[in-house]
Amino acid sequence: MKRNPFPLIVLFVVLAFLYLPIVVLTANSFNLSRFGGTWEGFTFKWYQQLILDHEVWVAFVNSLMIAAGATACSCVLGTTAALALHRWSSRLQNFHYGLIYTPLVIPEILMGISLLLSFTAIGMNCGLHTILLAHTTFCISYVTMTVLSRLQDFDDSLIEAARDLGANAWISFLKVQLPLLLPGIISGGLLAFTLSIDDFVITFFVAGPGSSTLPLKVYSMIKHSPKLPVINCLSTVMLLLTFVLVLASRALQNIKRQKEIQQA
Amino acid sequence: MKHILSFAALTFALVALTGCGARKPTLHLYTWSDYIDPELVSTFEKANSCRIKIDTFDSNETMYAKVLAGSSRYDIIFPSSYQVRLMAQRDMIQPLDKSKLPNVAAHFSQTYRSVILNPEMTYNVPYAITFTGIAYRKDKVGKTEVSWATFDDPTFKGRSSLLNDFRETIGAGLKFLGYSLNTTNAIELQKACDVVIRWKKNIAKFDNEQYKTGIASGEFVMGQGYSGDVAQVMLEDPANIGFAFPKEGFSAACDEMVIPKSAQEVALAHAFINFMYDPVNAAKNIQYICAIMPNTDAIAKLPEKYRNNPAIIPPIDILTKAEVLRDLGAANALYSKIWDTIKATE
Repeated sequence: MKRNPFPLIVLFVVLAFLYLPIVVLTANSFNLSRFGGTWEGFTFKWYQQLILDHEVWVAFVNSLMIAAGATACSCVLGTTAALALHRWSSRLQNFHYGLIYTPLVIPEILMGISLLLSFTAIGMNCGLHTILLAHTTFCISYVTMTVLSRLQDFDDSLIEAARDLGANAWISFLKVQLPLLLPGIISGGLLAFTLSIDDFVITFFVAGPGSSTLPLKVYSMIKHSPKLPVINCLSTVMLLLTFVLVLASRALQNIKRQKEIQQA
Repeated sequence: MKHILSFAALTFALVALTGCGARKPTLHLYTWSDYIDPELVSTFEKANSCRIKIDTFDSNETMYAKVLAGSSRYDIIFPSSYQVRLMAQRDMIQPLDKSKLPNVAAHFSQTYRSVILNPEMTYNVPYAITFTGIAYRKDKVGKTEVSWATFDDPTFKGRSSLLNDFRETIGAGLKFLGYSLNTTNAIELQKACDVVIRWKKNIAKFDNEQYKTGIASGEFVMGQGYSGDVAQVMLEDPANIGFAFPKEGFSAACDEMVIPKSAQEVALAHAFINFMYDPVNAAKNIQYICAIMPNTDAIAKLPEKYRNNPAIIPPIDILTKAEVLRDLGAANALYSKIWDTIKATE
């Protein structure tokens, strides 16, 4: 029987759509021509410019700090929110769920402008701190949702067992519940990190002097910059970093698994 | 748990690090991306023992919305001329202290007065002037008299482009017919609309970015383009690419330096504007941004390659044909309606 070639074609088309743009971008980061229409020769010139471009690095550091800060804050707040929603139910339960869902469905532009208006109303100058507040606000929802789904499979008798064996509430949380929830918290945190690092719309509204993040910088560069290929270089570097991180985490997991097998 | 704690500590340390160490006064600029020579920035920082922080915007409108909302404290903003008027009307910017700007008085070139919207310079000092003309391949277009009518020429069918910018593109049609770029006359606009629709059938596309690639690679033979952008393409391939000003007239635009009312470092901001008008600095900056600053002595200092590039320094006799785009207020709606018609016509 001849195999149907259709799935294979679909596979290649999908792969091409996903990865061809990345290949083109990476190739263009080595293109001598600024306009990318023709291949004019191989160069590291744009990478040199990237290294020397102070503004891009400032924006990059700003983005990283905000993403790290927003992830940390939203992991703590989001997990506690999920625990509270899971453990207790009140008459306002649905309303509370609604509060958590709202930032997921509300249009970003609405959230951005309303945050800006409220910061202005209380006389707060915009800067890194306002971006951090704004990002934490929408990241909390994502962490809460992932932790809540983890909690739904959680066996509450484990905590009861721990309490039976003499652990107090804090210890049973720390030694039993938290480790079991950790995969959920981490995946929520990773989601929050990625959302925070590439958010444009909300950041645009709440950014102040000296607090440009990478997306803001890249967006203005796309429209008005003689150094456009620098963005290609930056993207290539970030792609490489991502691949290295993924590979490293895979390798670490493998090592851990082998240790477990040896122990068993 | 330990990891989380050290992670949090690191974050706070980073935040603290950026927070302190900023005892020096900081000048906040709000400008277009890569619109100032970074070497000049560090020279000014050293000379005035201050720090300069640059934030960037991508259009006058987004900048205006942000500054109007009021929680951002910038010291110098670089809006286009028409936006300056609007900002002055809204009381968003402050009058400049001319006594602190001796370089502007000494070096400002009166030649360019006609292409500056607010030449009295109460609130603003011109930073860079750009023009909209036609970029073309010298090797593929015979050098004839340049006219907007070239977009009708069937020999270039499918190998040219117009800008995707409703004021510029309709403006080209208006100029072709001999009208003002800033007209609000509905009959004139309708005629311009018909012209642009006719051109649309002959050109490849309306486009603001890719046309540069097209011209550079030779895929397109000509395209309406902004002088600052085209100048960069020309510097890459000066032998084959040219920039021409249509004989019927063309548009000019100017970006200016203004100091908002909410500025914290007003004296330093004046010092910076004055610094940018020093002929040596101005000449350096013109070469970086590829657009002319109306500074007589700086223009004289430019290397040949820049001075002879019409996309950077247009021939002086052509300036009489330039018309500055003004803000039309409510009449903008008229233009966008016509633009919709043009876009919808097949």
